[in-house]
Amino acid sequence: MAAPALPAASALAPAPSLAALFLTCLKIGLFSFGGGLSGWLHREFVLRRRWIDDEDFAGSLAVAQILPGANVVNLVIALGDELRGAPGAALAALGFLVGPFFAVLALAGVYDRISASPALEAITQGVTFAAIGLLLTVCVHGARRIARAPSGLLVLGAVAVAVGLLRWPLVPVALVAIPAGVGLAWARNRHA
Amino acid sequence: MRDDLLLVLVLVFVPFSLMSIGGGSAIIAGVQHETVAVRGWLSSQEFIEFFAISRAAPGPGTMLATLIGWKVAGWAGAAIATLALFVPSSLLTFAVVRAGRAHRGARWGRILHEGLAPVGIGLVLAGVITLFRLSGGGLLSGGIALLAAAVFLLRPQIPALAVLAAGGLAWMALDRV
Repeated sequence: MAAPALPAASALAPAPSLAALFLTCLKIGLFSFGGGLSGWLHREFVLRRRWIDDEDFAGSLAVAQILPGANVVNLVIALGDELRGAPGAALAALGFLVGPFFAVLALAGVYDRISASPALEAITQGVTFAAIGLLLTVCVHGARRIARAPSGLLVLGAVAVAVGLLRWPLVPVALVAIPAGVGLAWARNRHA
Repeated sequence: MRDDLLLVLVLVFVPFSLMSIGGGSAIIAGVQHETVAVRGWLSSQEFIEFFAISRAAPGPGTMLATLIGWKVAGWAGAAIATLALFVPSSLLTFAVVRAGRAHRGARWGRILHEGLAPVGIGLVLAGVITLFRLSGGGLLSGGIALLAAAVFLLRPQIPALAVLAAGGLAWMALDRV
């Protein structure tokens, strides 16, 4: 409630009804071919519906990735709880998983018939690359906001290089990067 | 017998739920070992097929557990395995998120949030790099990813599904040239 004043451009919409939250998650669960699910969530929750602001989203994203469990399911739970409390978290997770549950079983049922199709395999491959593009947009939006404080960009870059390029294990990197990130944020806000 | 199997599914997948730190890919090897070598529920070939199916379907890749549950005990098995994999980690996440939110109003709560943001985005960028490498990315695939990102950013009114489909068709058309 006591959130700091944000620029008018990022004014939030009122929190959705439980039904709207459920249906949005159902849609994302069903349509998110090729991965890139955090990108879908960012697009729907932050950009299109303005239910969550960019910084909240990025903070939840960090927590969701460090805790055990599928990152996106954790993220859905954090977003659902933020918007509508415990029932929101439960319905968002349910809506998000029920589509894929039936989709994966249906796909298994027809797998023998379609697995030999090179065209389908090629399409799946292309969809995956486009979904990587969706994930990139999360980085662009996040970096643009974080860039207001260059020391935040340093943390972002260091984490990406360590885990993505050097392939260091995620958890130890996060255990170093989180105190560093929070320490820098604290130093920035000391004079505020 | 059937009830026993459902219970075993719970016992197998609940620990994996809490071990999957950093996401579902962290437990693939463990699940493969437990379900193929230890339990003999499916063959290595079937496991690879299930993995491919869970990647091609929408939703999180860990829906692999749903397929294994299905193979072991039908609809009930699919439901139980899915719940066993997602519920424990979800409850933990809920508890942590709640604990964090209780302090959001406080100044240090906001600083915590501001400090977490670059770590979260940095991990997504690392994920992009890893996915790109694992998929054997080249010039064409990089081009599709960048073009898709540009469309998502500059033309948000175009449905995401249409952009994904265009990426699929572009790859199919150009990969063989």
